[in-house]
Amino acid sequence: MLKSLDPRVNRLNIPLEEAAHAQKNKLDQFETYEVFVQTKEDKPFEHVGIVHAPNEEMAFLFAKEQYTRRGMFCISLCVIKTENIRVSDYSENQKDIYDTFEGKYSGKTTYSFEVFHLIKRGKQHKYEGNVQAKNFEDALLAARDTYPRNKPVLNVWVVKSEDIFVSDEEDQDLWDTLQEKKYRDAIDYRAADKIKAFKEKQHEH
Amino acid sequence: MYGGGNVFERMKATALVDEDPRKLAEFEARIERGEKIEPKDWMPQLYRKQLIRMIEQHAHSEIIGALPEGTWITRAPGFKRKLALMAKVQDEVGHAQLLYAAAETLGKSREKMIDDLITGKSKYSNIFNYPAFTWADSCFISWLVDAGAIVNQLANAKGSYGPYCRALERICAEESFHLKYGHHCVIHMATGSKKQREMMQAAINRWWPPMMHFFGPSDTISVHSEILMKWKVKMASNDACRQQFLDMYVPKIWELGLTIPDKNLQKNNETGQWEYTEPDWDEFKRVINGDGPCNKERLAVRRTAEERGRWVREALLAPKTKYITPLA
Amino acid sequence: MNTEAIKELVYKMADDLLILGHRNSEWTGFGPLLEEDIAFSSMAQDKVGQSWQMYKILHELGDSEPDTVAFMRNANQFHNAQFVELPNGEYDFSLIRHFLFDSAALLRYQMLTESSYTPLANLTKKIKGEAKYHSMHAKIWMKQLGSATEESIQRLQNALDEAMPYALGLFEPSPYEAHLIKDKIFAGEEALQILWQKEVESIIEETQLILPDWNSLIPALGGRNGQHTEHLQPLLDEMSEVFKVDPSADW
Ligand SMILES: [Fe+2]
Ligand SMILES: [Fe+2]
Ligand SMILES: [Fe+2]
Repeated sequence: MLKSLDPRVNRLNIPLEEAAHAQKNKLDQFETYEVFVQTKEDKPFEHVGIVHAPNEEMAFLFAKEQYTRRGMFCISLCVIKTENIRVSDYSENQKDIYDTFEGKYSGKTTYSFEVFHLIKRGKQHKYEGNVQAKNFEDALLAARDTYPRNKPVLNVWVVKSEDIFVSDEEDQDLWDTLQEKKYRDAIDYRAADKIKAFKEKQHEH
Repeated sequence: MYGGGNVFERMKATALVDEDPRKLAEFEARIERGEKIEPKDWMPQLYRKQLIRMIEQHAHSEIIGALPEGTWITRAPGFKRKLALMAKVQDEVGHAQLLYAAAETLGKSREKMIDDLITGKSKYSNIFNYPAFTWADSCFISWLVDAGAIVNQLANAKGSYGPYCRALERICAEESFHLKYGHHCVIHMATGSKKQREMMQAAINRWWPPMMHFFGPSDTISVHSEILMKWKVKMASNDACRQQFLDMYVPKIWELGLTIPDKNLQKNNETGQWEYTEPDWDEFKRVINGDGPCNKERLAVRRTAEERGRWVREALLAPKTKYITPLA
Repeated sequence: MNTEAIKELVYKMADDLLILGHRNSEWTGFGPLLEEDIAFSSMAQDKVGQSWQMYKILHELGDSEPDTVAFMRNANQFHNAQFVELPNGEYDFSLIRHFLFDSAALLRYQMLTESSYTPLANLTKKIKGEAKYHSMHAKIWMKQLGSATEESIQRLQNALDEAMPYALGLFEPSPYEAHLIKDKIFAGEEALQILWQKEVESIIEETQLILPDWNSLIPALGGRNGQHTEHLQPLLDEMSEVFKVDPSADW
């Protein structure tokens, strides 16, 4: 058995042969889900990253701890399977990607879509709003006609509303947290006094 | 956490010959303007390859980096330390997740990366091949290894690849907790009882040589490294990172009455540079190539976690066929 | 208020949470997938954090500092159910224990939000969001693995069979049941167990697992009185190894 300084590792009882053996037999890759977080009532959902998960329920479970475990910065969370998001091309900074779309919005309301915008390269996509359209292309045109564009939009994500898995209003208490959770934050580790006292004591000697 | 001294792919003289010169010029102009490259943008093959390699190594360093400190996770003294160490090691696992995700946007799957880690194909930061003998070692890691990592990460966060920068932004925010927590621990050890001080000093003596290795050997100036700098893949030289680390932390170690086991360590006030005994780069190479005190254990643990988690992942991937009892 | 009765109640809750939180923290870095590693660690932290708050309540009632109480007692002074001190085993056992324990914890907290003992009512109101996540996490995992592959079903079934008698030890009645109920401090272990069994049945029903007959089970009792398996003392020795180097030191 592998001997370790870590008692947890000793309890894993890893035979030395297993330690030498390698390779995942199969690459068991899950699908990915895009995760969006809302930090305040008056702020839009913002993209924070992805999780790997076998389905949206688990994606939600995972996203909650990976992206919002420092609870105070979240009031709502949603996950969207990556393949359900239609991504436009990226334009150069200062150029609006909507200007490259051609065609006329149908005005049809077959499906409901949610729209996310990227305003600056290197930043996160943010939720813009909801449009009705007959398909993805049409939704992009609807979005083009709907939203004011004070700043050029560099990239657009569109997803059917039904493909979004979002926390319920009543689940807000998931982010309630004890004051004592401060141990996760830098501000909880002030020790300047201790250093000062130590130096003074050294001085005396 | 993370160490410098990335092992970059050797570049062939012909690496850029096949690239479309017009697209290459646009790409370089964008980086020159300070704009980020996003996943769907055109990029030279070499850029993609080097970024995957760098971000992947960084991710591996986080997940393997969870192990040396994890050694003390069940033994942290008192509630506050117990909770903080759990949260700190958890953050490191979280960093691995974020970084793998950033590398995935470049086209390599996470499972392939993990496979390359456990088969020994990919590297991770050398410093995690050293053992954490006592609680004080875990304090050293939390403070100073993370401090070294932050020097690297803050530099890389100014790089050119959007997803990597975004991941690093989240990571650096959490690292500030690690750094303060680690410093807090070391302060308590150093200003505590005689026994605590001795433990802390012994840990510093053990960890100083690997800490000096952490940033990697001096970079050799080459066309290769010039291109990586121009493309904002490599953001600072290994020596510059090491100097910055020494400048920020040596005084903080000294002010606690602790010593550093290098008689030659001092700041040259004329050059503004720190002078030190040249680290043993042969040992560095030996350890990075697999012959360190914990290389085998680190990989064995990772492999075992993968192996024993396989049935779980298989079950999660299985199509949901709920068995319904026949009605009649 | 009957302070002895309250202490007995809070001690067993706190000890359960500390020991299980400690056990679950052992998974950090060894989990079956990265995201789950993170989630499981959060839940372990929540438990240890909750126990800390309960030891603070006990401190208010005149007992020692939380660190002393947690790190300096011997096994026979611990009131946790034997269930939580058992080794982690593989993920199957850890998951089953998480499910059985956390569904009971959530119900217990919901009952205690009504407690006439205000410190406990206030605390459980604050932590029921955490408990809700834990129970949600457990349920989703049970439903997934409990009806997936032959291997996952068999593993969970074995773990369930092994765990069940110990899980019943969570409801070992205290000598103060009648007082607690009469003073509306806590509605009692029996009431809790009835709710819990219903909850467990409803989840297991959605899987291909088979619940053992409740009546056939012999509960593993004694933990509440300080009678423990051979696993607890080594766990405590490990947990306090550094702390005991110098218990008066500020670490
Ligand atoms: Fe780190
Ligand atoms: Fe860190
Ligand atoms: Fe990190």
